[in-house]
Amino acid sequence: MATKEEIVNGFMKAIVDGDEEASAKWAKEAVAAGLDAYEMVTKHGGDAMTIVNQKYEKKEYFVPEVLCAANALNAGVDILSPHMKADKTSVPATVVLAVVEGDIHDIGKNLVKIMLSAAGFRVIDMGKDVPSAALVEKVKETKADVLGMSALMSTTMPRMKNVIDMLKDQGIRGKVKVIVGGGPVTKDWALSIGADDRPHDASAAVGATKGLVEKLRAERGETW
Amino acid sequence: MAEMTPRKRALLCVTGNKRRADRISCMDTLTTCTVDQMNAVKAPFPEANRDPELAFKLAAAAWEVIGLEGFKLPFDLCVEAEALGCKINWGRIDRHPSVETHVFNDLKDLKIPDDIVERGRFPLKHDVELRLRKEYGDYLPIVNQVTGPFTVAGHIFGIEKFCIWTKKRPLADVREALMQISEMNIADCKKALKSGTDVVCIADPSATSDILSPTFFKEAMLPVYQNMAKKIGAPIVLHICGNTSSYLPFIADTGFDAFSVDAQVDPGFAKAIVGDKIAIVGGVPTITALLFGTPQKVKEAAIDAIKKGVDVLMPSCGIPPRTPTENFKAMVDVARCMVYV
Repeated sequence: MATKEEIVNGFMKAIVDGDEEASAKWAKEAVAAGLDAYEMVTKHGGDAMTIVNQKYEKKEYFVPEVLCAANALNAGVDILSPHMKADKTSVPATVVLAVVEGDIHDIGKNLVKIMLSAAGFRVIDMGKDVPSAALVEKVKETKADVLGMSALMSTTMPRMKNVIDMLKDQGIRGKVKVIVGGGPVTKDWALSIGADDRPHDASAAVGATKGLVEKLRAERGETW
Repeated sequence: MAEMTPRKRALLCVTGNKRRADRISCMDTLTTCTVDQMNAVKAPFPEANRDPELAFKLAAAAWEVIGLEGFKLPFDLCVEAEALGCKINWGRIDRHPSVETHVFNDLKDLKIPDDIVERGRFPLKHDVELRLRKEYGDYLPIVNQVTGPFTVAGHIFGIEKFCIWTKKRPLADVREALMQISEMNIADCKKALKSGTDVVCIADPSATSDILSPTFFKEAMLPVYQNMAKKIGAPIVLHICGNTSSYLPFIADTGFDAFSVDAQVDPGFAKAIVGDKIAIVGGVPTITALLFGTPQKVKEAAIDAIKKGVDVLMPSCGIPPRTPTENFKAMVDVARCMVYV
């Protein structure tokens, strides 16, 4: 029987390597050894994704490697989740994510979702090609802390401004932080349309989201 | 001395011989359609993507309304995917068509019919190109755009799935699929050249270094592009969206005539990396200058791009449909008054 250390290291390495079979195998070992499933997923799975994150930031990893790692993590989570006893002590911040209307390029958004979920956020993924009004409705309905919008085409990115203007018009811009991203979206442009931040990639989105949530909770004059 | 025709000028500039032209060309090899043009010639999206009469009018609008020195077809990137059986969302006046469904579940399912360029909207594209040549003679260049192999792979297999295969499947198999798709592009171009087109633009927006590693680009994309360069037999412009800086040394070796850089790549930097191996075209940022800027801002950006050495002055990417005509025209104005001495 493998030791706890071997199981944890094997599980983490499987995720970093994007190896689904190995991840599932180590997850089963963890269950058999009676390890805490919740800790396996949130702590060790999360740590593994942080490593993936760092490699992506250093351009050692690219989108395909991150997708493989996410699949490996999911393979482990499938096995571990029936054994998880959720930690209900802290309320996670809610993030609504979407690719704006007219744009169907969702790889970037999916990466952000992977990274934010691994970091413990409650992520509501509205998918791609989402009409502005539906996005604003979802922010209201879920009392979201952060709204993340993505556009990969220069032809669709103006929609982001459209959504932010709608939030302003409805008087709820102060209740939610907005981050935007996608290939053609520059930081200058993002700030000029009234977004709070434009993290330079999916990995930076985690830090940016954490920072904005803290800021929002400190401000919290305007709460939902 | 007779004025140099825009066609001759474009062919010199796009092949890296701008010094032999009277001035820089402002042929646009990327998406040129704006709502203003659609309204001006009464040929709106989405109908203009499927109706030959409207397609002709809208293609001609690039010259007639804006003054861009060339025509380009088609207006969208879905012709290949549609002909292979993908379902298309046709969009609306300010929204390009997009691919909705994928058709192949696995690499080994890929089958491209021999008569592919007779299917879907390929014939419409070639017919409109032929009509433009007939009606405008040899005065203006006509660009046949093809959707590049990696982008088509994303359309027909699903981009995430295909990305994962770049890691999980043998490289030779992935490259072979891309190679097969490139053969469809080549057949399309051969047909288009017979319809009177002069220049090929390979738009491969998905093959960006925001997604793929330089290693994959070198080992899979480079041989596929080289195959296209060898077989097409006309000046070729490659466009890849986003930050392509790390690809530039390989792009220089594709054998293509020109590379169209997106706004994230400084044209001067690109020139410094590729040297004389390939021309660099583009340079006018679509969002900050053309869409949201002013004519003055567009002019400054265009002059800056020329100073940095671009060989053809054009937008850095496909034009956003809501771009104001006065901004788009400001770019053309700069090209027109830039005379080489």
